[in-house]
Amino acid sequence: MVEKKNSYETGFGSDALKNPQRIVFITKKTSAKVKGDVGRQLMSFPHLLLRESIAFQVMVIVLVGIALLWDAPLEQLANPLVTPNPAKAPWYFLGLQELLHYFPPLVAGIIIPTLVVVAFVVIPYFNVNVQGEPLWAGNRALRFKVFLSILVALVAFLAIFRAWTVLVPTVAVAGPLLFSSFLKPEGQPAWKFLRTRPVSWWVMTWFITVSVVLTLVGTFFRGPGWSWVWPWRGHGV
Amino acid sequence: MSEPEKPSPGGDANRRDFFNEVASVALGIAGLGAAVVTYRFLSPNVLFEPSPTFRAGNPDLFPVNSMTYLQDQQVYIVRTKEGFYAVSAVCTHLGCITQWKPEADQIACPCHGSKFRPDGTKIEGPAPRPLPHFAITLTAEGELMVDKLEVVKPSQILKV
Amino acid sequence: MATSSLAQAFGRLRATQVWKSIFRRGPARTNRTRSLAVFGNLFLHALPVKVRDKSLRVRATYYLGSITFFLFVVLVITGILLMLYYHPAVPQAYRDMKDLGFVVSNGVFLRNLHRLAAQAMVVAVFWHMFHVFYRGGYRPPREFNWVVGVGLLLVTLFLSYTGYLLPWDQLAFWAITVGTNIISAMPILGRPVRFMLLGGNLVGENALLRFYVLHCVILPLIAIVLVGVHFWRIQKDGGLTVKETFQEENGRKEE
Repeated sequence: MVEKKNSYETGFGSDALKNPQRIVFITKKTSAKVKGDVGRQLMSFPHLLLRESIAFQVMVIVLVGIALLWDAPLEQLANPLVTPNPAKAPWYFLGLQELLHYFPPLVAGIIIPTLVVVAFVVIPYFNVNVQGEPLWAGNRALRFKVFLSILVALVAFLAIFRAWTVLVPTVAVAGPLLFSSFLKPEGQPAWKFLRTRPVSWWVMTWFITVSVVLTLVGTFFRGPGWSWVWPWRGHGV
Repeated sequence: MSEPEKPSPGGDANRRDFFNEVASVALGIAGLGAAVVTYRFLSPNVLFEPSPTFRAGNPDLFPVNSMTYLQDQQVYIVRTKEGFYAVSAVCTHLGCITQWKPEADQIACPCHGSKFRPDGTKIEGPAPRPLPHFAITLTAEGELMVDKLEVVKPSQILKV
Repeated sequence: MATSSLAQAFGRLRATQVWKSIFRRGPARTNRTRSLAVFGNLFLHALPVKVRDKSLRVRATYYLGSITFFLFVVLVITGILLMLYYHPAVPQAYRDMKDLGFVVSNGVFLRNLHRLAAQAMVVAVFWHMFHVFYRGGYRPPREFNWVVGVGLLLVTLFLSYTGYLLPWDQLAFWAITVGTNIISAMPILGRPVRFMLLGGNLVGENALLRFYVLHCVILPLIAIVLVGVHFWRIQKDGGLTVKETFQEENGRKEE
């Protein structure tokens, strides 16, 4: 290799005596980027496989125990002419059915689930999620105004559609979000934790909160005609 | 492995590229054909479902100002002073079967609380459209016949 | 070294030609043979030969991904057993459910186990996804594995949904009626997709058979393929993500 002033001249050479140095070009697209030290490693056999088999057996024991005690339900034969009241979807779709109460089927049944799935898929491809910088880094005051406007618009939109069961958990998450901007980055671990959460964390936490609330409402608080019922006052599930 | 041939100066593809393109197009057509054939296979041509056109019986069976629910066909036969019309009993929201509540003069859906008037127009609830009216005619023998495949305007009434 | 007679007998078994023709690596007492136990095994070689000790701790992952997979295994086994007493026909399907409940030995138990594992798997797959998210296990180079995971989530939900119809009771019938009517709300494609899914305009015997084939053949095959890709990518992307804390030069702790 000839070293010029500020640049190198490189070429291919297979004569190890003539070209004893080999250069490896590492591009950004190399896989297995490792941050910091990899840490201590153990052999999969036996350490991983033993733990996995223990996990499997513990899980089977728990499942068998519950299956021996709790019977799966079986209602009457399917009758296409008689709709039970209320007619509920499986529990993991009850959140969606609750949404159907407020929004038309195209929105609540097609558009929102599609948007949710698309949102999940694209998470790793947005740099803001990969960086994970705290929500209030940078211009705190400006960001506060931006998020306040977004949240006010969202709450207003939900109020217009009278989607109370979505509005309440939204406010429950929005409160700590806005509050966290006033916390100091140094301070007690709990406040510091909240202060340093990135925007992706807040969005996911909001999504999980709303989903859990909607599912609980759909399971316990909705009775005949999808009317509101208090589960402790008869009716039940 | 030999180096790829350089394309000819005129910019035309060389022989290898040409055959690659022809093969790819042929495979594409075959794949498309396979997809179409499979799709048509999966769409049944013969259905063993009850006929959507049915006889509802003699008009005299239905008193004036009455609402009769035909359970097998999920249709309400309504007779007013002016005549007959047939309203679907399937809620336009998500397909649940509605129930006629005579004391409230309403058709109510148990699933999400939609409520309709006897003529199918919506009173409240998440249903996006009123209940459709089906074509109701008289056969040559003088029986009522309902065709669920033909939706008609609510103003259309069979005068008997 | 004092070895029991059983261990000695086992040792003699291992020395036979038959054994050595099947299992080629010998006892796993050196790191080489331990590597071969994983690397040389058709079923296990999707796993890495070495793992970071931090990723083995329960609190690192709560073993959620493993549990989801094990639940799938339980579902396949109990599902196959249940299939032997189930006819996907109307109304025979419902009668078979009654048979399983009253006449078939351990029918109640197997059905309970299948349904319980199904509910648990939906919970586990969501919990696993959220935990991977909060751990940051989607960051490059693991983006594609995250997408495969979302695919597995959808397959799990669809498996649960198709299975829900099979008992052919009121709960099943109307839950699926509502669900397929939601699909028909999709513009342009909604009605044709619903027609293909149900094999007709109504939820009837064609729908039951299609959901049965989806539930027992098509979706499990897709799931197995995606699970294979999912495990393979974990290995190729550098193992499980563990929340690391390390000091940067200016002393700021970064997670």
